[in-house]
Amino acid sequence: MVATKGNTEVSAREEILGRIRLAALHKARHPGQHPPPALPGGWETFAGRLESVGGTPHGPVAGAELRRMAFDLASTRAGDGRIVAEPTAADWLGPGPWQLASDAAIPHAYEDVAVGFVRGRVACAENGAVAVAGSDATSRALLVLCQHLVLIVSVDSVVPDLHAGFAALPADAFGHHHLTWISGPSKTADIEQALVYGAHGPLTLDVIGVER
Amino acid sequence: MTARLDQRAREVLADEDAVRRHDASVFDLRQRRDAAVAEVPDWEALRERASGIKRHLLDHLDRYLERFETQARAAGVRVHWATDAASANRIVSELLAARQVRQVIKSKSMLTEECGLNPVLEARGIEVVDTDLGERIVQLAGEPPSHIIVPAIHRSRFEIGALFHRTMGTPEGESDPERLTRLARADLRRKFTEADAAITGVNFAVAETGSIVVVTNEGNADLGMSLPNLHIACMGLEKLIPAMSDLPVFLRLLARSATGQPISVYTSVVTGPRPGAELHVVIVDNGRSELLASDGHRGALGCIRCGACLNTCPVYRKAGGYAYDQPIPGPIGAVLAPSLRAKEGGAELAQASSLCGSCSAVCPMRIDLHGQLLAWRRENRTAGALERVVTFVAATAMTRPALFGAAGRTAANFWSLLGRRFAGNPAASWLHGRELPEHPGESFRAQWLRRRETPK
Ligand code: SF4
Repeated sequence: MVATKGNTEVSAREEILGRIRLAALHKARHPGQHPPPALPGGWETFAGRLESVGGTPHGPVAGAELRRMAFDLASTRAGDGRIVAEPTAADWLGPGPWQLASDAAIPHAYEDVAVGFVRGRVACAENGAVAVAGSDATSRALLVLCQHLVLIVSVDSVVPDLHAGFAALPADAFGHHHLTWISGPSKTADIEQALVYGAHGPLTLDVIGVER
Repeated sequence: MTARLDQRAREVLADEDAVRRHDASVFDLRQRRDAAVAEVPDWEALRERASGIKRHLLDHLDRYLERFETQARAAGVRVHWATDAASANRIVSELLAARQVRQVIKSKSMLTEECGLNPVLEARGIEVVDTDLGERIVQLAGEPPSHIIVPAIHRSRFEIGALFHRTMGTPEGESDPERLTRLARADLRRKFTEADAAITGVNFAVAETGSIVVVTNEGNADLGMSLPNLHIACMGLEKLIPAMSDLPVFLRLLARSATGQPISVYTSVVTGPRPGAELHVVIVDNGRSELLASDGHRGALGCIRCGACLNTCPVYRKAGGYAYDQPIPGPIGAVLAPSLRAKEGGAELAQASSLCGSCSAVCPMRIDLHGQLLAWRRENRTAGALERVVTFVAATAMTRPALFGAAGRTAANFWSLLGRRFAGNPAASWLHGRELPEHPGESFRAQWLRRRETPK
């Protein structure tokens, strides 16, 4: 019975690929890389765009100021709620009111998190999106389960456009389960086109720009 | 011939308020798109690049599919192939049954809509919860989506409030979109955490890395991919792109064309399963290889399901998604329906267009939508008896100048009569919702001869 099912799938594969081999013309060439568009970069441009998609930019800040800002955000956003930081974000922040996210934790362990701190790798000025690498969000569920998300990025990591954004990702970006671009808090406009922040994911998104 | 289509459109058009609201909401999306596009200096170059990449991809689809399969397997993905909707549904339901799954959370996937997956799973006793808010609304209402991006666009806040009250026990009379969204969020959070499996669609699949790319605004696909230990992603085989460096070309076009956003809130590139979890990708043909083999229609496989052609279409805006009676409405739905054959009546949809070309003008993939509709009309030869007679008469007259002249004079006499509504008028159905322009009193031929003879 299992063998029959296996055979069916094998023959489906052959049937489909066979039809496609007959239909594929093997002619048109790949048009090559898209040339960089003339778009402005820089933290200010990114911050403006982030605001337009409903996120809140902070900074640029450095050193002790970064810690103070993180403490402030933790208390305003979390109230008495639970605060969790991914290890690579905690490396930047130092010790604070946050627990460390642990790799081994089951995803459901983040259901009650009020604020999550996660490091972003690249920030894209044209669309306000921040790339979160799998290695910086080993507990992937934290990104979407927390009520408020705080991303921390280096201001040097801002690129003008998305082509540059993909090019700037760390070499192992696609060696992990996920790489996620996040542009603003989760949202929906499914009821009469009225924009509502906080659909299924975080209700708010803060992005702190860090100067090193 | 188009009686069913006319009938459905008329049912929708009967409620003028609903038509006006639908038209305005949909056109609002179109205007947001225009504003977003105006901010992108290289928009036309992007469209050109994207359609060029897709042309290359489709020309080498066999190789890219094999490459994707190899790379995805290497990353730990289980890859399945389905020739048609029935086999796709069987693969998914067997995967779920083998793991005793009782509850599935699903994020938006036009493909599973096309395949009719939900009823198949429900028949096996599996609860399927659509989690995109718009999809959840139509699911609770027992309706199909009426738009591919905003599935409940045909419903008012009051109808949705009443629906939530009836199905989720929310406070009676609540109609504030923000509060309704919060209530649905709380209800669906529970479903997310209880579910044993997640089903998602696939917006793009990258052959180079074997990754799938899933895009949402709500974060529902991401919750699905993060919580249960089983994730099944269903993709049409045309979703492939060659390399990761091609992805930004498509992403820069997609959300701007769909809703005017510079990018969707969540763009997740998923390469292999989460540690300790399973990821299955089901590659579905269901009429697509047939489209690939058709020179006239293969271009339609470039569609990235942005919905822009729906939002700009004068027929879709007025008639609404249900008039089409297909999983995908609007111009692209009409182009795909005869091949995907999800439902009867696909062929007649080619008539549901004024061929104004607005769809082709906004399509980020530069698909020649109105040309394809015209091609289907030719191929379908769906013309009814009256149209055949008219075409025959016109062809006969046009090849015989004397006859043509006489016909012109006769038409001048009968024209005003045709425009009147009387029993037995052969033009009656055409006149529904249309006005016949006034006749100039003289045939074109007579005018032309006269003007040529009287120098200015
Ligand atoms: S045909 Fe073009 S405009 Fe219509 S949904 Fe597809 S990509 Fe968008």
